[in-house]
Amino acid sequence: MAGEPKRGSTTGGRSDKPAGRHAPMTNTRMFLTMLFGAIFRRRGRASMAVVASMVGAATLFCLAAVCLEVPRQMNQEMRAYGANLVVTPIQQPGQSRQGIDPAMVSHTTEMVTAKASAKHATYRYESVRVNAGSHMMAGIDADQVHQLNHHWNVDGQWPKDGSVMVGRDLADSLGLKPGRRITISYRASDNAEGATGTEGVSGAGRTGGGQSTQEGSTGRSNHVHGSATMSDDAGRPGQLHHAGNPSGQSGSQTQPVVLTARPAQADASSPAGPTMGSAPVDGSIAQDAQEKGMELRVGGIVDTGGSEDQIIYSSMHDIEALTGFKRGSDVIEYSVNTMGPNLTAIARSINDMTSMGVKAQTVTRITSGDTHTIAMLQTLFWLVSIVVLVLTFVGVGTTMASIVSQRRSEIGLRKALGATSGSIGAEFYAESAFYGLLGGLIGTVLGYIFARLLCTSVFQRSLGFNWWLALASVLLSTIISVVASIRPVRRASRIDPALVLREE
Amino acid sequence: MEDHETVQEEKSGAMLLDLDHVSKIYGDLHALDDLNLSIPQGQWLAVVGSSGSGKTTLMNILGCMDTPSSGSVRLEGRTLEDLNPSQLADVRKNVIGLVFQKFYLVPHLTAIENVMVAQYYHSVVDEEQAMQALDRVGLADRARHLPSQLSGGEQQRVCVARALINDPKLILADEPTGNLDETNEKIVLDLFRQLHDQGTSLIVVTHDALVASCAQREIMLNHGVLVGEQWNDEDARRAYEEAGGRPAFSGSAGKEAQSGDVPVGFQDPTKAAKTGDGNRMEWQ
Repeated sequence: MAGEPKRGSTTGGRSDKPAGRHAPMTNTRMFLTMLFGAIFRRRGRASMAVVASMVGAATLFCLAAVCLEVPRQMNQEMRAYGANLVVTPIQQPGQSRQGIDPAMVSHTTEMVTAKASAKHATYRYESVRVNAGSHMMAGIDADQVHQLNHHWNVDGQWPKDGSVMVGRDLADSLGLKPGRRITISYRASDNAEGATGTEGVSGAGRTGGGQSTQEGSTGRSNHVHGSATMSDDAGRPGQLHHAGNPSGQSGSQTQPVVLTARPAQADASSPAGPTMGSAPVDGSIAQDAQEKGMELRVGGIVDTGGSEDQIIYSSMHDIEALTGFKRGSDVIEYSVNTMGPNLTAIARSINDMTSMGVKAQTVTRITSGDTHTIAMLQTLFWLVSIVVLVLTFVGVGTTMASIVSQRRSEIGLRKALGATSGSIGAEFYAESAFYGLLGGLIGTVLGYIFARLLCTSVFQRSLGFNWWLALASVLLSTIISVVASIRPVRRASRIDPALVLREE
Repeated sequence: MEDHETVQEEKSGAMLLDLDHVSKIYGDLHALDDLNLSIPQGQWLAVVGSSGSGKTTLMNILGCMDTPSSGSVRLEGRTLEDLNPSQLADVRKNVIGLVFQKFYLVPHLTAIENVMVAQYYHSVVDEEQAMQALDRVGLADRARHLPSQLSGGEQQRVCVARALINDPKLILADEPTGNLDETNEKIVLDLFRQLHDQGTSLIVVTHDALVASCAQREIMLNHGVLVGEQWNDEDARRAYEEAGGRPAFSGSAGKEAQSGDVPVGFQDPTKAAKTGDGNRMEWQ
């Protein structure tokens, strides 16, 4: 019957075509026209559905933005303050201090980056003398350390060959300014095992940070913000006490510490041949440095507010020239792009490889207050989210139920005209999806504005617009709208045309 | 009527509708009581009776919107009680055009969109054809108006345009002129006459003697019981009987029931019997 040619088109009336038609009307367009009519020509309760979706989307987006973004930012900021994973060599008692050789640095770095992206920097510490006073000197790769410690405030230049960077406190006590020159001498005895010549720098200097290690840490927490990383029991200062060559200032090329073999291979007390492929650097310079000292330019002053302020930073080349020998690093610091259990797992995987001869420890810079804030925010987020979801669901569902009952006659009419339950359902689902979409869009924008205000006023943070979160918010509110209208729409599609058209 | 006869004779051969002992019972109320009625293709039948006489119940059953409590309805050879709701919907959109007393337009769609809704559910939307249908009822210039911007008569004409847009074989009209003034009543009746001339079957439920008298045949219901039948067109009657058509009858035990083979005549209801309250149904 449906396929029969239409007779009406050939009968009666004018047959001239109506003028001014643009796009031809198709069934899809008709569907959209009906949807448009129902939404925009009716208004009234339709706006309630939009408002319900909007409030839901706004609250959820605002909460999600704040509760996800703020902890993320905090994590990011913490990582900007330096390392969250520290690797140190395992020092056997009585063994000399030879550090972590470059191959092991690469190996360890591979193990870390296999799990998460990471930046790293290596440090070699030596005790040196400036004007007869004993101080800590660190040989670094300036670029690496700079990458890792964005919070370091450097007045002048980072260290490079022939130029050092001096900690603020030390510079003040020595009266150093950028551009001045400093004479540094090296005595092997200062770095011998048991030597305590580092006087405070070694003990307190590197441990003063406001952090605690997570593994077996005793939790130093003097809250010096942005201090250098330090692990509790294997920290760099400790290492200074291990170096074991009693040969003292015998001068010459005895290579007291470093040139002895790896821990497992050699007795520290017996000088052995160079290992690690390193060789004594120019003997005359080293000898000179140890006797008269080496004059270096002060390129910059570093101010971190932490133990770094006590240290002289030089390039690896300079420290090798000063000490007269090459050796591995005392510490590798990693800034790993992960936190919590994942970070612990990385540390454990390194520690499980005992043959590597290194020890990894996680370092957290979060104060317990921060952790509490994050936990509280996340709990709050889930609680409020569930409540808001339920409320939105009920709001949209009730509104759709009211719209359906308001339009019973129309639904009956459509059915009398041959609409199936499916087509009635499709129209109402599309309508409620539209309400959800519209409410979701408006709500997301409002939610972002609220979240921004909240971040600025409460957390003193800026908040970027997270497009993924926005997309998720709009989609979620659309889906909730559709799901919430399942019951009312089912009722609508069951409406009996006879009941509606019966004379009342 | 004379000019319809030729068409009528050709069409009356096949029965479009057959009601066989059809009853609709709500609790103790027999809204329709054992009605037997045959309607050939192309016939114009008027169903008259006072309020509560079962006219609307009959209308709902004929329009595939309700099923009888007992008895059988055959439309175009198909037994309606055997069909599921989806098949009934198919029959509705393909065979039947509906015109209601209370206009029943979708309030948030314009006149032409209301006409196109019927096309949409039937097959394919054709705006041009919809415009022609509106033009046919004299509303081409009001095509873009919402129902609330149209008068009662105009709304009813939109309903007629919508009913005829899919070229149904049967148009069911429930008090189509109940809420109209004489001018609009005349327009609507003229439209019906045109449709009838084209061979469309019409069943018009009415209180109005004038409207009823336009039909070829009239039956009267009272409390759900068929109480009379009369023909306004003897040629049509003859053709009907030649085709094997029998007078309507009721198996009801009611004493008024027309139960024999001889139609019982009745007085046409007068205009005063109209009970339509003239109010358009508001859709809040």
